[in-house]
Amino acid sequence: MTHGSRLSAIVPPLVSLLVIGAGLELALLATATPTYLMPRPSVVLSALADNAGELSRATLQTALAASLGLVFSAVFGGTIAVVLSMHPWVRRAFYPYAVFFQTVPVVAIAPMLVIWFGYGIRAITAAAFIVSVFPIIANTLSGLLSTDPALCDLFRIYRAGRLATLLKLRLPSSIPHFLTGLRIASGLAVIGAIVGEFVADTYQAGGGIGTAIEVAIKEQKTDKVFAAVLMASLLGLGFFALVNLASFLSMRHWHVSETKE
Amino acid sequence: MHMRYSAGFLLALVLNLTGCSAGGDAPAADGRTPVALQLNWVPEPEFGGYYAALQIGADREAGLSLDVRGGGPGTPVEQMVAAGRIDFGVSSADNVLIARSRGADLVAIYAVYQTFPQGIMTHSGRGLKSLAQVFESGTIAMEPGTPYERLLRQRFGLDKVRAVPYTNNLAPFLHDPLFAQQCFITAEPIAARRAGADPQVFPLTDVGYNPYAGVIITRSKVIAENPELVRSLVATVRRGWQAYLQDPRAANAEMHRLNPTMDLETFAAVAAAQEPLIAPADPSESELGTMRLERWEALAAQLTELGIIDRAEPSNAFHNP
Repeated sequence: MTHGSRLSAIVPPLVSLLVIGAGLELALLATATPTYLMPRPSVVLSALADNAGELSRATLQTALAASLGLVFSAVFGGTIAVVLSMHPWVRRAFYPYAVFFQTVPVVAIAPMLVIWFGYGIRAITAAAFIVSVFPIIANTLSGLLSTDPALCDLFRIYRAGRLATLLKLRLPSSIPHFLTGLRIASGLAVIGAIVGEFVADTYQAGGGIGTAIEVAIKEQKTDKVFAAVLMASLLGLGFFALVNLASFLSMRHWHVSETKE
Repeated sequence: MHMRYSAGFLLALVLNLTGCSAGGDAPAADGRTPVALQLNWVPEPEFGGYYAALQIGADREAGLSLDVRGGGPGTPVEQMVAAGRIDFGVSSADNVLIARSRGADLVAIYAVYQTFPQGIMTHSGRGLKSLAQVFESGTIAMEPGTPYERLLRQRFGLDKVRAVPYTNNLAPFLHDPLFAQQCFITAEPIAARRAGADPQVFPLTDVGYNPYAGVIITRSKVIAENPELVRSLVATVRRGWQAYLQDPRAANAEMHRLNPTMDLETFAAVAAAQEPLIAPADPSESELGTMRLERWEALAAQLTELGIIDRAEPSNAFHNP
């Protein structure tokens, strides 16, 4: 990337952020909306500054559980997708149950996660895993099944075995799809971890973002609620950026999505 | 019983802001004034007096047409009333003082529970003698950020226990003999006993935390502009609670119809257990629901000392019509 292209990547989102933030600030000022109903962006930022220590500790704790959940999703989701891609019969037998993960209302089963895994990081990680695994399965599987037919024919002509075809053709060509799944999963893992924290966080020495949100609601500090939500968004954004970095590093030499600029 | 999910709170906030109001108050056909009361939970004995008021027609005789609206987890009653989406709701004295310190104009006009109905429930097999001992071992489930969680944390510390969220679910308690949790002293111990446990309850009044609860709130503007409506509503509610204390059966049957997850036997047991908490704390006080300034002042001092609020004018926070 050249210097110019880096600027062109950073400036547009900053401008839109400033415009939307200023617009919201003015609209809330003009309507004299009380902070306890909807805090102005400036009030949220000052709540963020006032609670910086507490909220950054909470964010680190949530980040740990969410990233563990995301890693489990990547490993298991990827593996499940490979198994499902083996044969149409396997797919027909098991794919419907993979969809189950997508439809699980995690709020409803979160209390059961506590019974199964105990309070603390294991239950929270499980909640992050459950909501983030399906996009990885679905995207990776679609990648594994949409390998270029011409290349498949080429491998057949050279009498490559199933394993060789999988390792040298199907898996590499599914990587962009897998990473798309991982991008979707990264935000979901943060949401899953926070929902997990609502029921399973051990907070005697602080707690995660979920607990920070609960506390701010009980204290009726709407500005702090939004500040905590903002930290959750930043965490999701951070994960997204990491996946993009992995995507760039793994595909910069060969895939059109990372080489065209 | 009163867990409020954040998602519900935010959703309701958005609905409030986008103007999806709970509905306009058109005058009733027979000239009665329509008035709506927003509950903060599903129909349970803690709201028995409101349903009893409807059954005996107390609202009709006071010229009102009372609409009791059930709530649930996430009903942000304080915000709904403060924003003017509804004129009356059910809250508690501590939430009123906190909301006022954040700039919301809320005033309490009637207090169902003269004695704070919450406590900490543990297993009697542990042989604990006091609240202090509850904080010496095991797990304790409380809603983080509530004033009493702050108070207990300050008083006893959480360094020897594992503190976890309270999720309105008895399973963890039944599952773990070293588990303690916040409870409505009138409700969860009864449910735990029916599930085979032997609970022991330490009321929060043991540590001097005794705010009015089951408090009807409105805005000071409503009191100033329509004092007659406020008086009629309080009279209606008071008659309802008198009727419910005399015989809760009919109101219980109606609430059981609206909330079938609680069986009639539990309704009856809870109604009996809550009676002493509803009776006037001071025997010289004859009327149900009346509030005293000293109690509000004591609460304001506690919340200020805990650092939850930084200012309070307790005399403006309540009004006995």
